[in-house]
Amino acid sequence: MQTPVTIPVPVLRLPRGPDGFSRGFAPDGRRAPLKPEVPQIQECPIAQESLESQEQQARAALRERYLRSLLAMVGRQVSFTLHESVHVAAHFGATDLDVANFYVSQLQTPIGVQAEALLRCSDIISYTFKP
Amino acid sequence: MAMRQTPLTCSGHTRPVVDLAFSGITPYGYFLISACKDGKPMLRQGDTGDWIGTFLGHKGAVWGATLNKDATKAATAAADFTAKVWDAVSGDELMTLAHKHIVKTVDFTQDSNYLLTGGQDKLLRIYDLNKPEAEPKEISGHTSGIKKALWCSEDKQILSADDKTVRLWDHATMTEVKSLNFNMSVSSMEYIPEGEILVITYGRSIAFHSAVSLDPIKSFEAPATINSASLHPEKEFLVAGGEDFKLYKYDYNSGEELESYKGHFGPIHCVRFSPDGELYASGSEDGTLRLWQTVVGKTYGLWKCVLPEEDSGELAKPKIGFPETTEEELEEIASENSDCIYSSTPDVKA
Repeated sequence: MQTPVTIPVPVLRLPRGPDGFSRGFAPDGRRAPLKPEVPQIQECPIAQESLESQEQQARAALRERYLRSLLAMVGRQVSFTLHESVHVAAHFGATDLDVANFYVSQLQTPIGVQAEALLRCSDIISYTFKP
Repeated sequence: MAMRQTPLTCSGHTRPVVDLAFSGITPYGYFLISACKDGKPMLRQGDTGDWIGTFLGHKGAVWGATLNKDATKAATAAADFTAKVWDAVSGDELMTLAHKHIVKTVDFTQDSNYLLTGGQDKLLRIYDLNKPEAEPKEISGHTSGIKKALWCSEDKQILSADDKTVRLWDHATMTEVKSLNFNMSVSSMEYIPEGEILVITYGRSIAFHSAVSLDPIKSFEAPATINSASLHPEKEFLVAGGEDFKLYKYDYNSGEELESYKGHFGPIHCVRFSPDGELYASGSEDGTLRLWQTVVGKTYGLWKCVLPEEDSGELAKPKIGFPETTEEELEEIASENSDCIYSSTPDVKA
């Protein structure tokens, strides 16, 4: 293949997705502050920048850890604690990009076993599994 | 070093995205609305793709969505036989307009006083938004379901497309002025006010016609069936996407294919340039919207071009050592999907 060496355009972050529990339209959201004329990307003082970059690194590390935990869960039996003290167990399959839904199989519910199911993450209080 | 396009994926929809529209440029930037078969159209910040809110209320697939020029109102067309008008700042439903069949398309006039709708009942309807109780004016004539209806010529005329025809109507007299016939199904239509250009796609063709006379200007053939195309505001480029999941960018003057991008996991249903022409958005069967740079490598929105001299290294590559992943693997992950290596904001629930 003769493709030239290219690097992907860097991005600051990914677009934010829905928060999963509200319909959005935050009252102090997009209409409150008018966009400033000059983009303020370049002007951060050094100290603030390093604090922000430390925070960003911490966020990145935590996020990576969480994503790896999801990977480790694939195919395992997971116990979920849902609202109103409901407990279910299932084999974890996958999650979607925003971690809004868990795809599971063999979901054991009080009314029977569901072969395949989607669990809404906003319904989940906690979950636990043994790797 | 040459730069590779990094599309920004906007997730959140759970079914195919079938329509999208940008607002005009407002003091708060510009906005994007997406219509989805999951029945929940979403409003996003246009230059970043950040989700702002979801319009809740439709009971069926939403086939068409649009914003008015200053993004204060939204309108949606749905399979639940209604079109709805929304307050795009609060997300509240303002009006529900009952129809006799699936509604496919909605369009505001420039002053946001009237809403044009069209759908499977083959009628064009014009609603006076200041008199929501009044019956709409109806224009009949289409012999198959209306897929797209647009105001044109400063809202003095209406363009509408059904399966095999595109028709031009006079608003004042509500009569047909001219029509175009196609022997293939018309998949999309876009109206460019500056220059009065109409972009029509059918089969593998992307055709440009005068919006005033409907006379053909030029047309291009794509490698695959095209579902939607959009002309850049400065009329230098056009983008198109369709059944082969790819986006194509052409030079409008020469017809030369400039770039093509894989990335979507399903057919592309809609594609539109932003009002400033700096990016274009595509909506796909795979349930995502993707934002693409018109000029790859330019600093804009969430894309931050890091030149070698000023490279602090933080944005181009993550600073934390990832013991398991090498630089090459990170590059691979960051290539066409480019979703995985960049951490998301802290308010995403984990």
